[in-house]
Amino acid sequence: MNDEAPPFAMTGGLVRRDGREVLAGVDLRVAAGDVLAVLGPNGAGKSTLVKALLGLIPLAAGRTEIYGVPPAAFRDWKRLGYVPQRLPMGGGVPATVREVVASGRVARQSRWRPSSAADRAAVDRALAAVGLTDLAGESAHLLSGGQQQRVLIARALAGEPDTFVMDEPTAGVDAGSQAALAATLRDLAGAGRTVVLVAHELGPLEPLITRTVELEHGRVVRETALREVTGTTT
Amino acid sequence: MIEMLQYDFMRIALVMAVLIGLTAPAVGTFIVQRRLSLLGDGIGHIALTGIGLGLLTSTSPVLAALLVSVLGAVAIEVLRARSRSGADVVLALLFYGGLAGGVLLTNGQGGGTSLQSYLFGSISSVSTGDLYVVAGLAAAVLAIVVLFGREMFLLCQDEEVARASGLPVRFLGVLIAATAAVTVVIAMRAIGLLLVSALMIVPVAAAQQVTRGFRGTMLLAMGVGVLSAVSGLAGSFQYDLPPGPSIVLLALALFVVAVAGGSVVRRRRARAGASGEAVPTTVRPAVDAEAEVLGG
Repeated sequence: MNDEAPPFAMTGGLVRRDGREVLAGVDLRVAAGDVLAVLGPNGAGKSTLVKALLGLIPLAAGRTEIYGVPPAAFRDWKRLGYVPQRLPMGGGVPATVREVVASGRVARQSRWRPSSAADRAAVDRALAAVGLTDLAGESAHLLSGGQQQRVLIARALAGEPDTFVMDEPTAGVDAGSQAALAATLRDLAGAGRTVVLVAHELGPLEPLITRTVELEHGRVVRETALREVTGTTT
Repeated sequence: MIEMLQYDFMRIALVMAVLIGLTAPAVGTFIVQRRLSLLGDGIGHIALTGIGLGLLTSTSPVLAALLVSVLGAVAIEVLRARSRSGADVVLALLFYGGLAGGVLLTNGQGGGTSLQSYLFGSISSVSTGDLYVVAGLAAAVLAIVVLFGREMFLLCQDEEVARASGLPVRFLGVLIAATAAVTVVIAMRAIGLLLVSALMIVPVAAAQQVTRGFRGTMLLAMGVGVLSAVSGLAGSFQYDLPPGPSIVLLALALFVVAVAGGSVVRRRRARAGASGEAVPTTVRPAVDAEAEVLGG
C-alpha cells in the first residue's frame, strides 16, 4: 500500500446510465485531511460521484484510485467508512441500533473469531459519539429519520476508518441530529480524518468544510477552497 | 407423547423435526431480510427434478436432490445479480422448469406414489441412514450461519455498504442461496417440497412481530420452528394426520398469535414512549400478502 497516495483520485471519470452520461468526465483529488462537500442540484450526479469513488458504480471511461489502487484491486477497506443515504428496510427483519452499528466493524474482524472487547469498546464509543447510547437496544427502523442517520454514521465510526464518505447525511434530519452530526464531524476533522460528504446545503456544517465541489449535469462547475486543512493528517 | 417414543420411526422423526425446526428459520431470517421469501419455494421445485433424476437412475434421490437444488440455487443467485428484470421472473422460470422436469422424469417409472411422498413429506419412511445425512447437513448449515452470520447480516442490510466494507458479496449471496438449498433438502422428507419453505419463512414472520433485533428474531424464530415441528409431528401421530401440513398450520397459528401479541407490545411501547422518545407505531411491512392481511 502506497501511503503517500491520496484517499481518492479520479481522472476523467465517466458514468453512463441508460445511455445518458451521469458523470461526464470528472477530475477530483481528495487529499488526506480534506473535509470536502460535494454540492449541486438534484440529479447533478453527486451520489453517483461518491459511489464511483468507492468503486460501487463502475466507470465507463477514465480511472479512479483509492489510496493509489483501483477499486477492483483495493483490499484495505477498513480505511474507508461509507455512510449511505438511508437505512434500507429490506424484508422487515428488525435490527437493533447496536447490531447495525456493530456491523461497521466487519472489515476489521476475522470470521473465525467472535467479537472482541476492542470491538465492543469501539461500538460503545461510536454510539456515544452520536448520542445514541440510550437507544442501543431499540429497533433501528423504528427511530426517526435523523436518528437513523446517526445510526448509519455510528456504523461508519465503529469501523475507525481514516476516510469517511457520507451521502447526504443532513437530508431530512432534525435540528438535534444536525447538531450531533456537526459535532461528530468537528471531532473527525480535528483528528485529521478525511471526509467526503454530499449535501444540498451546508447549514451548520459550513465552518467545518475545507473545500467544496459543485456538480451540474455530471460535471464539476466550481471548486472552492474555504480554509486550510487544520487537523493533523493521518 | 410417551407412547409415540416407543416407535423407532417416531424417535428418528422427532430428532429430525428438531433439526429442521432449528435450521430452516435460521437460514430463513437472512432470506426474509433479503426479500427472497419465495426462494425456498423455487428451490423446492427444482429439487423435484433432482428427485426425478435420482429415481430414474436408481441412485439416491436425496443426494440427487441436494446436487440439483444447490446448482439451481446458485443459478438463481447468479441470474438474480445479473438480470435487470429482477428476481421474481427468474424464480418463476426455475419454478416451472423444476416442477415440469420432476414430474416428467418420474412419469416413466410409475413414480407417482414416491413423488407424492416427496411433495408432501412422509416422515414415517425415514431411516436411520437418512437421519445421519440430515444431521450432517444441519450441522453444516448451522456452522455456516455462525461463521458467516456477521457478513451475511451486513449483506442483507445493505449490499453497497457490504461491498464498501470489502466483503465478498457475490460469494456471500451464492452461499446464502446454497445454504437455503441444503435446508430444503434437509426438510423435504418430513415436510414435503411444496411446504418446505413455509418453515423458513413463517417462524421468522412470527418472531419479527415481537422482537427488536436481528439475533433475537433469529433465535425466537428457531424456537417457533422447533415448537411447531415437534408439536406438529406429535399431533399428526396422535390424530393420524399428515405431518407436513400439521407442522405448517401450527407455525401459521403461532404467527397469528405473534401478530396479536406484537400489536399489544407496540401499543404499550408507544404509550410509554409518548412522553419521551417519539417511536412510530406503524406496523412493519409484512413479509408476504398473507401477513399483510393479518398484520395490517
